[in-house]
Amino acid sequence: MQPARRDDWTSDHVWWLRSPMTSTLPVLAEPQHFDLAEKLVFAGLAVGSGTLFWRRFGPILKRILASKKDPDFRLRPLGRRAWDFFWEVLCQAKVIRQRPLPGLAHAFVFWGFCAFALVTLNHCAVGLGLGFLDPAGWFGQLYFYLAAAFALLCAAGISGLFVRRFLVRPRWLGEKLSWESGFIALLVFLLMVTYLAAFATADTSEAARVLWWAHTLCLLVFLPIIPHTKHLHLLLSPATVFLSRGGFSRIPPLAGDEDFGLVAGTDLTQLVSLQAYSCVECGRCTEHCPAANTGKVLNPKEIVLGLRSYLSELGPASAESLLGKYNSQEAIFQCTTCGACEFQCPVGIEHLPILIGLRRGAVNTGAWEDDHGGKLFLALERGSNALGMSATDRDKFVQKLELPIFDGTQEYCLWLGCMGGYDPKGREIIADFVRVMRYLDTSFGVLRKEKCTGDPVRRLGNDLVFQQLAEANLEAMALNNVKKIVSICPHCVRTIQEDWKEYGTPPEVEHHSEFLARHLEQLPKIRGEEKIVFHDPCYLGRYRNVYDEPRAVVRASAQLVEAPRSGERSFCCGAGGGLAFLGEETGERVSHVRAKELVDTGATTVGTACPFCNTMFRDALATKGSGAPQLLDIAQLTARALPTVGPSSAN
Amino acid sequence: MSGVWVVLEERNGKIGRISWEAVAAGLKLGAQLGLAVNAVLPGARTEVLAAEAATKPLAKVVRLVHALLGAYTADGYTIALEQFIRAEQPDYVILPHTYQVRDYAPALAARLGQVLIGDVTALGEGPTFVRQLMQGRLSGDYRHAGGGTCFVSVQSGAFRADQIEGGSAQVESFTPTIEPAQIRTKPGEPFRGSAQTVDLGSAQLIVSVGRGIKEAENLPIVQELAAALGAELAASRPICDNGWLPIERQVGSSGQTVAPKLYLAVGILGAIQHLVGMKGSQCVVAINKDPDAPIFEVADYGIVGDLFEVVPALTEAVKAAKQ
Amino acid sequence: MKILVAIKQVPERDAQVHIDASGTWIDEAGIQWALNESDAYALEEALQLKEKHGGEVVVVSAGPERVGSTIREALAKGADRAIHIDCAMGRLDALGVAQLLAAAIKSESPDLTLTGLQSDDLGYGQTGVILSELLGLPHSSLILHVEKTEQGLTVKRELEEGWFQTIELPLPAVLTIQSGGNKLRYATLMGIKKAKTKEVRRVTAQELGTTATPVVSLARISAPQKQKSTQMIGGSPKEAAAALAEKLKFEARVL
Repeated sequence: MQPARRDDWTSDHVWWLRSPMTSTLPVLAEPQHFDLAEKLVFAGLAVGSGTLFWRRFGPILKRILASKKDPDFRLRPLGRRAWDFFWEVLCQAKVIRQRPLPGLAHAFVFWGFCAFALVTLNHCAVGLGLGFLDPAGWFGQLYFYLAAAFALLCAAGISGLFVRRFLVRPRWLGEKLSWESGFIALLVFLLMVTYLAAFATADTSEAARVLWWAHTLCLLVFLPIIPHTKHLHLLLSPATVFLSRGGFSRIPPLAGDEDFGLVAGTDLTQLVSLQAYSCVECGRCTEHCPAANTGKVLNPKEIVLGLRSYLSELGPASAESLLGKYNSQEAIFQCTTCGACEFQCPVGIEHLPILIGLRRGAVNTGAWEDDHGGKLFLALERGSNALGMSATDRDKFVQKLELPIFDGTQEYCLWLGCMGGYDPKGREIIADFVRVMRYLDTSFGVLRKEKCTGDPVRRLGNDLVFQQLAEANLEAMALNNVKKIVSICPHCVRTIQEDWKEYGTPPEVEHHSEFLARHLEQLPKIRGEEKIVFHDPCYLGRYRNVYDEPRAVVRASAQLVEAPRSGERSFCCGAGGGLAFLGEETGERVSHVRAKELVDTGATTVGTACPFCNTMFRDALATKGSGAPQLLDIAQLTARALPTVGPSSAN
Repeated sequence: MSGVWVVLEERNGKIGRISWEAVAAGLKLGAQLGLAVNAVLPGARTEVLAAEAATKPLAKVVRLVHALLGAYTADGYTIALEQFIRAEQPDYVILPHTYQVRDYAPALAARLGQVLIGDVTALGEGPTFVRQLMQGRLSGDYRHAGGGTCFVSVQSGAFRADQIEGGSAQVESFTPTIEPAQIRTKPGEPFRGSAQTVDLGSAQLIVSVGRGIKEAENLPIVQELAAALGAELAASRPICDNGWLPIERQVGSSGQTVAPKLYLAVGILGAIQHLVGMKGSQCVVAINKDPDAPIFEVADYGIVGDLFEVVPALTEAVKAAKQ
Repeated sequence: MKILVAIKQVPERDAQVHIDASGTWIDEAGIQWALNESDAYALEEALQLKEKHGGEVVVVSAGPERVGSTIREALAKGADRAIHIDCAMGRLDALGVAQLLAAAIKSESPDLTLTGLQSDDLGYGQTGVILSELLGLPHSSLILHVEKTEQGLTVKRELEEGWFQTIELPLPAVLTIQSGGNKLRYATLMGIKKAKTKEVRRVTAQELGTTATPVVSLARISAPQKQKSTQMIGGSPKEAAAALAEKLKFEARVL
């Protein structure tokens, strides 16, 4: 018996959807003849499901839209946004790259959902007697088979993810098992199964009808669950990625006299609210967080979810402190601003502006009371450097090395910074870099007086001191006609290039690794047998995307060895975020954990490119005893190949 | 006007060394200007102390006696000395620059329409009185304009008390009129800071030990030096990390910040994290066997040597010097 | 409690000081100015007392126009209003300065007047004590902690060599505050914004009606002979130790 003619109006009218061929392959069965009662039931359920969905999603959308507008948001240029959307959302690049197997599984599920767009639409249309895709037609066949392929992958993917969550139980997904996630996994699985099974039945069979209803029920139960907790990301995350601030750790300027940062609900902007609601709770941020990995209270995922809870319970108009029930002051001041969290996030959450925003709220209002923090702020209120040392100390050092004073005629202004100017090890690095510059005949000078770039106070959220420092420095730059700066410290480089922009136009600035790499040809090389493990500084790697240049310098000197967590996954030394100036840490010391990792590579030398990393590791390696590897900055590695004119610092 | 009068201060039942230094200053001034030099000793029971003062080459020693001068109060001393000075009309009143003198002498001078020239470190022609400005970065020469008594207080150690010869002075008494109601403050008994908590932040003398000490067993060497100096014991981070000394004794960026008169660093290299904790010290002494140790950059005095030999020798030398 | 805090603007700690042409003061060109350190502690003590007992904190400072920035800093940290005695400090001795302050303070009738122990530039350490004499009030100096009681105040005073003393005195009174007794609060953005609306009353020395002829004058300034350089002490351990002990006793004067 031939299959009855399809009871769909489109195939009468949209002739090109009809295939002239008779297919011998199985065809997706679609139930025929829903009577009015069934159609009404379906419609009623659909409306009910939709209403439930909107009841939950509506308020969330309202809360996001009711939040304060981001004062610095610009939709254009669209290019970057479009690219991020394509690469991160459609291609799932970050999702896969940073956690390959689970990422791929998720990508299959996501692509499956995308592929199913038309399927689902058609499915619902069928329920109302308005099905428009003929499964027997050539397009229908092609599409439904494609969808079937995706369904298989999706089913496999979701099963794998289920196993991961409930059997493997990685700790990044949290302590509690999420039964809701399990239920949703089941629904997705059933959706795929009911779809695939429809290939094995005929249109007229009872089975087809049952499958259709099963599939429908899964859909209608799924819909209202979406706005519940992390499943919101299904709707929001594409928008979140598209609308993100861009850059890395892009700290928004304070807007007006009443803005002190993220103090209460009224300070949460639309972007922050959107990001808070988009969190998938995947835990990638926490997995890479140096604080969370060393027993601190700070957990980046909980910070974001804390904001989400705040918004859900109190809303964006609340005057209650953001650091109260849902997030603690203690946690946010344990952050080294290494950026591993922001870097990892697959849904476009930008943790750093949020964290620094919360710190601003605490510091700019004086709510943060900390002995060491207070001392740092007071030191920079009255003095020139973050260490509270007398400026004459730096003068003595400049005289001792006979460094030329910058007078506007030299090509480079060599920026010493607080570490280069006052720390004994930092000074060694400067001395060696100066030897290299002198060997290359590069014209340079140092400023007579330097004020701290303001990095520690910027990351701690003290806008008053930062503004004072940035403005004073920009004025000094202009006065002294500084066009190009080279610095040994990635923190200085970042702050000068990006953060000073808020108050003026900074001069060009580069890190000494970039300078050295560019001049490698002209420099003598040793290329010894020694093994050097290079530690990527957070502010050079993730913040500035400079990974190859320091490696080129290391390779010119010896054999390069990589630490297990290197490059964009480099594990912080623990000094950033102003933490080098605060008191003792709780839990394990971040620097010790990283030092162990570096030592365990078997390298005889640890190569650094940041004076803060250098100082943190020096302390940590000192506890390893006499077998500990050497610690050398890339400037020292380069300098030791130079013909000795005077005493070398790296012996 | 009746010459130079030195105000002696009783401390723990004795006349403190700094008062004798003030006498030395007074004698020098008296010699310079051809004036008689005398001493006045406020207090309730001062017979024995006055007798001791009388063995110095002074013309007169006056006991400024009153029951209400038994415990020091600013009001008591100011009223008593005011009456005495009005009676005696000294050309110069020399005081030791102690916390006590800083508490009453400015008020005393002001009551007499004068201004104290305080914390003087040297005498010059004129006479001019030299004191430090800008935390020791500059010296200033001060002169007393106008008539009346000139009040001067002298810094501890600026004049040498051990060079005063013997003599014999006349001892007299002067009893001022003081009503109890005129004493507006009630002083309590002096006490030491709590024994349990280590308060390095307010310690005046600190001996600090670093990795050069090598073993915990060697700590007694440094502890003896600290005891001899009357100093608190502190340490750099590795010592506390190893548990050889409690964390409260750690000096540095993640520990205590100290600003003592004397910071004696034994076997400490001088990394920046340590330096920022002690850079406020007035006088830094470093003992280290590494001549290139960064600590020497910030030290006023340095000894390059083996601390296991230098420190015990120093302990003995300090004990001898304190006698 | 109405608390008055006398604060002084001094050259920044780090400032390079050069003697001016007349040889009687430093060249003020290019100097960065800051709030005197022990005055910062006095202000902190006042603010903490206000937080505990309510009332008002008023700061008063004498000096030329540049003093305004330090006054604003004090207001940003929490003082309620300020009095600026606009005058050149020039030839004034400690008595002269105290007379100016007393004239401004008298009309305020504060319960408590606080000053820092001594200034970072001249370092007389006398202003507060003379002030108490001129105002006819009881005082105590080198104070680390202040507590308000039924009868007045109980204060913790620092003595030499690690000793302390508790003193009781009635209100109104004057205290000079030693550095280090409290943790200083830092200036915040919020504080600076609020400070813009706080009152700063300006008076001149003439208006206060004081004419001070100095009793003591600073005749000349010079750079001390000894620069701070490290004296390395050589010799055998015993010799070096003995030499060091001698220097500690007589040069550094810390024994």
